[in-house]
Amino acid sequence: MAIGLTRATLPQTAAVDLRTYARGAKRRRELLLVWVFLLPSLTVFFLYRILPLLWNVALSFQQFSLFRGTRWIGLEHYVEMWQDDVFWTSLWNTLIFLLSAPVGILLALAVSLMVNADIRGRNVYRTIVFLSYPLMTVAVGIIWRWMYDEKVGLFNFVLRKLGLIDAPLAFLQSFELVLPSVLLANIWQILGFYMIVLLAGLQNIPQNLYEAASIDGASRWQQFVKITLPMLRPALFLAFVIGIMTSITSFDLVYVMTQGGPSHSSELLVTYIYKAAFELSKLDYAAALTVVQFLLLVTLTWIGNRMSGGDAGAVEREG
Amino acid sequence: MTGRMRRILLNRFVVAPVVVAAVVLVWNAYVASHADGIVTGHVVDRFGRPVADATVRMMEQNFTTNSQRGTTRTDANGAFRFQENRSHRIQLRAEKPGAGRSNQQAVRLYFRSQHVDLTEPLVLDGGAK
Amino acid sequence: MNRPKPSRSDPMHRYPRWPLHVMLVAISFAMLLPFYWVLKTSLTGENIFVYPPSILPHHAQPFYYVDVWYFIPFARFLLNSVIVSVLAIVANVVFNAMAAFALSKSFPGRGWIITLLLSCMMIPFQTTIVPAYLITGKLGLLNSYLGLALPTFSTIVCIFVYKASFDAIPRSLIDAARIDGLSELRILMRIMLPLSTSAIATNVILAFIWSWNNFLWPLIVVRDQAMQTLPLGLSRFLSDHENTTGALYAFCIMVLAPGIALFLMAQKQFIRGLTSGATKG
Repeated sequence: MAIGLTRATLPQTAAVDLRTYARGAKRRRELLLVWVFLLPSLTVFFLYRILPLLWNVALSFQQFSLFRGTRWIGLEHYVEMWQDDVFWTSLWNTLIFLLSAPVGILLALAVSLMVNADIRGRNVYRTIVFLSYPLMTVAVGIIWRWMYDEKVGLFNFVLRKLGLIDAPLAFLQSFELVLPSVLLANIWQILGFYMIVLLAGLQNIPQNLYEAASIDGASRWQQFVKITLPMLRPALFLAFVIGIMTSITSFDLVYVMTQGGPSHSSELLVTYIYKAAFELSKLDYAAALTVVQFLLLVTLTWIGNRMSGGDAGAVEREG
Repeated sequence: MTGRMRRILLNRFVVAPVVVAAVVLVWNAYVASHADGIVTGHVVDRFGRPVADATVRMMEQNFTTNSQRGTTRTDANGAFRFQENRSHRIQLRAEKPGAGRSNQQAVRLYFRSQHVDLTEPLVLDGGAK
Repeated sequence: MNRPKPSRSDPMHRYPRWPLHVMLVAISFAMLLPFYWVLKTSLTGENIFVYPPSILPHHAQPFYYVDVWYFIPFARFLLNSVIVSVLAIVANVVFNAMAAFALSKSFPGRGWIITLLLSCMMIPFQTTIVPAYLITGKLGLLNSYLGLALPTFSTIVCIFVYKASFDAIPRSLIDAARIDGLSELRILMRIMLPLSTSAIATNVILAFIWSWNNFLWPLIVVRDQAMQTLPLGLSRFLSDHENTTGALYAFCIMVLAPGIALFLMAQKQFIRGLTSGATKG
């Protein structure tokens, strides 16, 4: 039997309360759902990104031992770092290693321009160049380590065959050659990645710009400088920023190829951090080193972002 | 077969694992049926004549060591037979006092205990050493 | 080179094609040479002990691969890697989709969460290893599959990939579903995910590659040889046997093969995932 409750018969305020209460409950349910859905991801990020960042800072001011607990010692670790030759060597090496970003990007720019041209088989070329990037870096390191081998390596063989050198070069055992050698292996592996990023940027450039410029009589070089480069700016700086991040954190290659040797000439900050923490068991000192590494990373990324006109994520939003 | 089912089944992400699984199964079946551990061969002297009653030693090899696993003797026709090879990488050497010894013959197999009948004989180099 | 030939499709760009092909072939050669060299050595064992090496393989034989299979617990390493990767992939797809779904609604604090996530992208894994090790130890997960996979259970890049995909779904569809009375979870699973298969594929590919190739974290967390993953096993083999056997290179090839096969099958998803934000999450 219909009770006869309608909007017309209910007092107006009661009807409004009923609706808002219903909406409120639904809203609360929705909010609960949102936070429940966010919880797993946020937990992972909290546990393994945010908390470690903060804990590193705290640890860097403490003396930490798994057995004896912690004790605040202020800046002692940083003083120790200042006087630590290996730290300065590894910092310097890391900065040199960062060169693999611009060099790699320039090479990748050339390659992507070639691949982007209207030629047959461009997808095959693109695949071949990109093939090295998804590989296990440990295996890549082993392969290159052996190609650099003094006695039986490919490079020595080719150089001697070509008559460029008389005696074999010990690439990975020489103080001067070890870092460029590892750099070359790193560039080989990351070239494909830069190429993909730049290709995406190139393909976003509207063709009619080039057509209009051609009609206006611009040469291909002029078209390159006035159209391609400016429109590639976001992609170039995205690649640069990512390149900085991956170069600073490139652990596998150095660990496998040289273990940081000979005598720390190829020691990077990240390998020194690993050694300090897990081979020398100085977790607190490693935390201080990590803080410095993170500051370096943030500074360089900030500079890269500013130089790109503020938004290195532009490609992401467009693409 | 409906069009949608066909698309799913012929999707490379389905075909590839299925093919891999099939190959693995067939290979395992082959291995199971041929892994009896038997190694046969024969010993000749440097003139090509079969040598009876020569001692043949089988050694198991890994990256760094060589350890002896068995010995047997050749029969009247110079043939020998090992029954219990458990390895995939062995070395054989034949020897007969007065007729010399053969070199260390490496035999590498595709799987452990693979049944193998060696075609190349072990050649004794002759002469007392 | 004197008379430019018209290109096949664009009359605006008249220039000869063959110099491009020459250069690209040279570059391809440089990129493929290490593969060829290691493949040749794994099949012949040449130029490990003998110099000068030969350019073409002589006496190819597959027995180094047999050595790797039996002398190294390769099957065990493979199993470990597969388990860790599967854990990481499943968790990634589930958690990232959930988080992206939540982010596609408006709620108080949404902007803060997004800023938080974007800034977490700035924290690379290598700057967290010491505390991550301590945390994993406190959780009792050292030397376990869960401990190996846990840091990779969610990645910010993939969350944004899903979000972009969800944002592209027309609101009318979702509103219609709401009116029909579907619960939010149902909406996610029945409507949004099936329309986002490319985002899922991208997530699967990226999660697989990152967890499969991960070396530093297993190096820190694994204590027993039985729990080693493939990269770890490979590096231990190198330090045990150095350059003394072709089996090392056969091991390399066996380790690289799944990655290469997967990449060749799933190039599009791979490349799309990398260009949409592309930092290691």
